[in-house]
This record gives sequence, C-alpha cells and structure tokens, in this order.
Amino acid sequence: MLKPFLIAKNLHKSFNSRKAVDRVSFSIRKGEIFGLLGPNGAGKTTTIRILSTVLEPDRGDVIIGGYSIRRNPDAVRRLIGVCPQELALYEELSAIDNLVFFGRMVGLSGSEAKAQAVARLKLVGLTGRAKGRVDKFSGGMKRRVNLAVSLMGHPKLLFMDEPTVGIDPQSRNRIYRTIERLRDRGMTILYTTHYMEEANRLCDRVAIIDAGRIIAMDTPLALRSRIGPPEQVTLEDVFLKLTGRRLRD
Amino acid sequence: MIKPLLVALYEVRIYLRDRGDLAFSLLLPIVTFALMYGAFGGQDTFHGTAHVVNEDQGGAYSILLLERLEENDCLDVNLLSVQEANSKLDRADLLLILYIPHGFSDAVASGEQGQLVFKQRGNGGDEGQVVASIVRSVVDELAQEFQVHAQVSEALEGTGIGQEQIDVTVEQLIEEERQEPTVTVGEETLGGSADPVEAFLPTIVTMYVLFAITLTARVLVEERRRGTLERLLTTRIGVGQLFFGKFLAFCSRGFIQTLILLGLAYAVFQMFTPLSFIQALVIALVFIAAASGLGLLIASVARTEDQAVWIAVVFTMAMVLLGGTFFEIPEVGVMSVLSKISVNTYANDALKAVINEGSSLADVGMQLAVLAGVAVVALPLGRLLFKVLPGGR
Repeated sequence: MLKPFLIAKNLHKSFNSRKAVDRVSFSIRKGEIFGLLGPNGAGKTTTIRILSTVLEPDRGDVIIGGYSIRRNPDAVRRLIGVCPQELALYEELSAIDNLVFFGRMVGLSGSEAKAQAVARLKLVGLTGRAKGRVDKFSGGMKRRVNLAVSLMGHPKLLFMDEPTVGIDPQSRNRIYRTIERLRDRGMTILYTTHYMEEANRLCDRVAIIDAGRIIAMDTPLALRSRIGPPEQVTLEDVFLKLTGRRLRD
Repeated sequence: MIKPLLVALYEVRIYLRDRGDLAFSLLLPIVTFALMYGAFGGQDTFHGTAHVVNEDQGGAYSILLLERLEENDCLDVNLLSVQEANSKLDRADLLLILYIPHGFSDAVASGEQGQLVFKQRGNGGDEGQVVASIVRSVVDELAQEFQVHAQVSEALEGTGIGQEQIDVTVEQLIEEERQEPTVTVGEETLGGSADPVEAFLPTIVTMYVLFAITLTARVLVEERRRGTLERLLTTRIGVGQLFFGKFLAFCSRGFIQTLILLGLAYAVFQMFTPLSFIQALVIALVFIAAASGLGLLIASVARTEDQAVWIAVVFTMAMVLLGGTFFEIPEVGVMSVLSKISVNTYANDALKAVINEGSSLADVGMQLAVLAGVAVVALPLGRLLFKVLPGGR
C-alpha cells in the first residue's frame, strides 16, 4: 500500500465561535484522487484553505510530503498547487501572461515558466488562445486557464475546489480528461464538488463532510453499497441520506 | 528581490493593458495642467492693445512714440485709419483710441507743446484705462528725454560742440539710464510667489500624488476580490515581497503621472532649469514613495473596497487641507502645529523651495528625510497590520 502523501490530523477551525472545521482527520495516498463532498457551508473550502497554508488551524496539523503546514509552510508550498473555486486570474492579462506570472511566483525561471505555460495551455486545450485577454474568454475557458495556472511548477499535490462550476459540458469534459491525465502521471489530487456523478467518475475515495465534520469516508462503490445495491444507488442518494434534504443556504 | 520586481512589472502591465484606466490616469495630469494654464497662463502680468490713429504721418516723434509703445512688453499696438477708429468708437467696438494729430512732431521739434488725444467711450473700459496709463507713462518718459535734449543743447549753445554730437551723447546717457536706472522699485509678495503657477504647481503636484493613495489603498482588496491574493499566498512569494512589489508598482505609476505634469510645466511655463527640474522630480519621487507606503498601510487595514476608498479619501483630504494646498498655513499657532502631521506640508515646502527659491536638495534635506521616513515606516507597519488583523497572514 502506498504511503500517505497528505495526513490531516484533528483539524479545528472556528470563526466567531462558529465551528467551520471540527475534528477533521483523513489521509490521501500518493497518486490518489480524493473527493471532499458536502453541502454549502459544510467546511470544504475552509479545509482546503487550511491544507494549502492560507489559513492556520486553531488546532491540529497537516503533514504534506513529510512537511508540517505549521512548522514548514514554505516547504509545503513547494509541493502544492491550488485551483480555487473563484477564478483567481488577472483578467486584463493574456492567458499565457497569467501562467508565466504565477509560474515565476512558484519559483520557476523565465524560460521554465514560458515552457511550462505553453505545455499547460496545450493540456487544457487553449494553445490557440494563449495570447488572448482572459476577460474576453468564456466561463469555460477561464476555468481551464484557472486549472492550468494551478499546474505551474509541477505540484505533487493539487487542490481543486469545485473546478467545474458553471461551465458547459464540453469544457467540463475537457477538465475531466485533464484530471484523468494528471492521475495517470501520478499526481495526488484533493477534489471538491457538488456534482456527485463527477466524484463517482473521478475519485478513488471520497469523504462526506457536514457541519465541519467528516461523516463518511470510503470508495464511491463502498459508500453506495452502504444503502443498497451499488448498481441501483447513486452517490447522490448516499449524500442526501447522510446529509439530509434540509436546505443549507 | 526578483519576485517584488515581477509583481511590480505585472502590476504596471495590468495598468497599461487597461486602456480606460491608462487614458484616465495619463489624461488627468494633462487636464489638470490645462486647467492651470487656462486659469493662470499669461495672466500674471497685464497685456493689452493700444489702438492708435497716427495723423502725423512721417513725423519723427510720432514714429519714436510708436516704437516706444511697441517696445513695451505689456502692449501690442494696433494702427487704425481715422474712419476705422471713428466707426469702431461709434459702434462701441473699441472704448479708447489714441490719436496722434497732424503736426505733432513739428510742434515737439519746435519746442512747442505736442498734444496727444485719447478719444473714449465712457471711462474707456478697464483695459483702456490701464492702456491709457501705460501710454501716459511712455509719453512722460519721452517728454523728459526731449526736455533733457533741449536743456543740454541750450546749456552748450555757443561752446562750439555740434548739435549732432550733443544729441548722440545725450541719447547715450539716456540709454544708460534706461538700462541701469538710478532708482528701481522691487516687489515683495507676502505668502509665496506672485506667479500663480509657481504658487500652485507644487501644491497641485503633491495633492495629485496624494490622491493616488486611494488607488494604492484598494490594491489588496482588489487582489482579495479577484481571488489572486489567496492564490499568491499559496505560492512561494512572501507577503513582504508582495507588499514591496505593489509599492514599487505604485511608485512607478505615480512617477509617470508626475513626470507628465512637471514636464508640461517645464515645457509650457519655462519655470524650471534642468537642475531644478531633476530636483523637483527627486522630491516628487520621495513623496510618491511616502504616499504609496501610506496607501499600502490603508490597504492592509481595509477589508472592502468601500472601506479602502473612504479611509483613503478622509486621510487624503486631511493631509491636503493641513498641508497648505488651498491656503497658506500661518507660521505660528495651532494650524502651524497641526500642519506638521501632514506629509503634504513637507512635500510642498520642499517643492516650493526648489521651484520658487532656487534651493538645492541639501537645503530641503529635512523635508526629504521626513518623507523617506514615512515610506520606510509605513511599509513594514502595513505588513505587520496585514499579519495581525483578521483574515491576514
């Protein structure tokens, strides 16, 4: 069995006495795609922000590639890439300019950044629009640039926070294919989404989080088997059974 | 060091790519300058037109009078025929016209009284009265010269010295007196320069730079809104490096705008020497650094765009008012003490000293030190506040 690449141990995070993340522990093996599913406000994004060193947990620690996010966040940042839920791009700049800039920020030289930017744009199917301004792009193209930026610097672990929100099936399919190619290359991925069929298709294991706590964690097949014959049960059925049908926002 | 430079470079690139922002920020100094020029350009001294009818055609003294009037920097001379002049007076197109009558030169040459006539409607108008006053002073000066000529000629009559020699010598002496008058009248303007451009340019430059604080104050909020701040925080750039990069970017941007404003002032008003221009740019650059540092200090505190803008506007207005931008701050009293907390005070004092008084950078060393100190303190303080305030790192 492969060694865990990420180990989250007993994470706590509160905002004004509201518990956003409560006793969260899990691990992700190298080369695994790990899904983090949960309703709105469940604590998915806060967990990713802690894992990616943006937020410091109130308690607990995360070890990534052998480095603690508390004691050695700089070393952790060398290993990770983040594809945030928002389109974190400079829209006035071209796609390639965005990639080169963030490539330089992760420590690549000018020529390395350019070479990687060209390769990443090819990976997400945007070679022909490399010099186009991002603010002229469609939502799907922006999402693909967002993903391409997060791959600059060859991260070992990629955090993807709802990377397919609000885009057309073609762009979504392209992102799925990109993720599958990244998995084939051995990249470890933590993936959050509201689309259960997406998690079912892509993730090796999923954790369902609600009210800041992980309430179930297993392979999609094993989770489906918990409530009925897996061929008749969807992951969405499991999700609704575990988290309830009450609206969250 | 490379990462802050890259942040600055990309910030400037974003600025250059945003054509609306670029046009606005570059046009603003030009518009400001145009307003200054419209308000003050060429109006620091009177300039009018003397409308003249010369009926003494070919007369030596009328020609001399016209030459003297044309030599006067405050006047243009417009020659009219009698018909034109009468018509314009009748229609009130002109309110005052100087008539040089037939026989004027002959009268003067023969020692009789030469008579000039002002024809005017009403009191001749404001400009007409000033023109009439200037013409009278020129005529008085000429009359005194004629008198000197006549008296010297009379005194030397019978000495065997030729009239031509007397005329040349007297003319030479009069010219010397005109070049270096025995009595001169100086001007001492209280409360700064008499030239409105010289008086206002330094304060407009500093006010302009200070308004850029509002842009700087929004920079981190914008990065937050775009999500790029969070993304940057997961890369290998330190927050201090990010701050320094933004600082360099806003210094560059402010410097470009100030260069345009001062460059136009140099080209159009010729109010600089090459040295004083460079000195003014150095002072502006140090002030821009202080303003950018203060902008980042506000940016590190503000969590929304509204907060950033309002804090910056209130801060800027306080600095502008206390810095003596719109009115002179008295040298003693409460306002004098309060003005010391405004960065504008130091920038205005330094720029005025260099532009208006010919001081050197060494003479304004204290002001430059205060401004540089503000920049040096504001930057790390902003970084510290960004770290300790909620949501920071």
